[in-house]
Amino acid sequence: MIELRNVHKAFGQNEVLKGINLKVNKGEVAVILGPSGSGKTTLLRCINFLETADDGELIIGDSKVNFRNAARKEILAVRRRTAMVFQNYNLFNNMNALENVMEGLVTGRKFPIEKAREIASQALDKVGLKDKYNAYPLQLSGGQQQRVGIARAIALNPDVILFDEPTSALDPELVGEVLAVMQAVAKEGITMIVVTHEMSFAMDIAQHIIFMDGGNIVEEGTPKEIFTNPKENRTKQFLERILPRWNYTI
Amino acid sequence: MGSLFDIRLVFEYFPTIISRFHITLLIVVVAIGVGLLLGLFIALARMYKIPILNQLSIVYVSFIRGTPLIVQLFIIYYGFPLLLDEIGIDVTQWEKLYFVLIAYGLNNAAFMSEIIRSAISSVAVGQHEAAYSVGLSRWQTLRRIILPQAFLTAFPVFGTRVVTTFESTSLAFTLGILDMIGQAQAIGSRTYHELEGYVVLAIIFIAVSMILEKIFIYAEKRLILNRR
Repeated sequence: MIELRNVHKAFGQNEVLKGINLKVNKGEVAVILGPSGSGKTTLLRCINFLETADDGELIIGDSKVNFRNAARKEILAVRRRTAMVFQNYNLFNNMNALENVMEGLVTGRKFPIEKAREIASQALDKVGLKDKYNAYPLQLSGGQQQRVGIARAIALNPDVILFDEPTSALDPELVGEVLAVMQAVAKEGITMIVVTHEMSFAMDIAQHIIFMDGGNIVEEGTPKEIFTNPKENRTKQFLERILPRWNYTI
Repeated sequence: MGSLFDIRLVFEYFPTIISRFHITLLIVVVAIGVGLLLGLFIALARMYKIPILNQLSIVYVSFIRGTPLIVQLFIIYYGFPLLLDEIGIDVTQWEKLYFVLIAYGLNNAAFMSEIIRSAISSVAVGQHEAAYSVGLSRWQTLRRIILPQAFLTAFPVFGTRVVTTFESTSLAFTLGILDMIGQAQAIGSRTYHELEGYVVLAIIFIAVSMILEKIFIYAEKRLILNRR
């Protein structure tokens, strides 16, 4: 279980998160929706301290961290319980696919190399890249790079994987392969918090939808509740704009 | 005094002059070695804004880059013994070569630090973030992800720096070091045939520079392959 309590974050005068409270259960796939600038990505990045929130608490498993005075050791501990998949993949350019996946295990968690190689190759097999162990990031397509990114995250066996718009930088025809892998990861019961604009993923895969606007969580619930019966006007407005309505007659 | 330029003397002087090549080589190797280590240290002090060290580094780098090498050589040669004498170390018996090595090392450190610093900051922010996200510490990130990538970026400039350092060793003779230049001078003043010695020097310097450049271009190709 992962819980955020009263998370505040400002960049200078610009208050991006205005007291976020959020609970995501173990094994749950949570999708954060919202217009750009609503604080979705910042919230996600606060969870693994890529941004340091100004105030609030993070509870992950049995450990509790205060954002205001988190020690470097605590931050590292949180990072070793989480993993992230980035919009721009951010694979290590100086390493091939297998080394990319092994790095967090060998250097971060001190796994023996053989053990790490075994875990890493299983992870790469899972994302369908059995034949790309030795490929460097620049030799891979965007979709393949992102699948390595996902393998890198699942290999760490984290409490939660954070997905920051994982398909936004991809060519439209490569989005499918990445979504399919994410769906497979979801089926394994790994806790996922996903910031995305892929409504089909939110509707079909997620169990928990969080709608954010202006640094607040406006509304949350199951996909059914949010998509078919939103309570807040702001949510309705957003969904109307973003969901295709196939009732045109031409 | 015979003719002003005698081609036979070029061949005659060549072995004598190149026999001092190891001194030049020593200066280059020490300068690059010290430069890399101290330069990395300075670059990190500046990147992570370590108090006091950061300010010292800024002053140091702008001093070295703002003064001619020959001035630095003489300041080290005359100033360093005084400084060390203050803390009770007597270096009056040191060979001149040591001062030359120190001066070239310190000089190179300033230039190297700037090369390293710009190479490190050219590595995308996302690389740091990805490393942190898989649970690497700041030092592990630097060592495993950032420095290897920065190294590839810095390599071509580094190669140029090595060639420049090699050329700049030609000032060491001003402290009376008997390197290749010193040898050519000695021959010149003994025989009044100055030009031949310098022609030999020109040939040696251009040959070595070209070889170095070729080596670096080849190494660069081999290193980079698909990694960038």
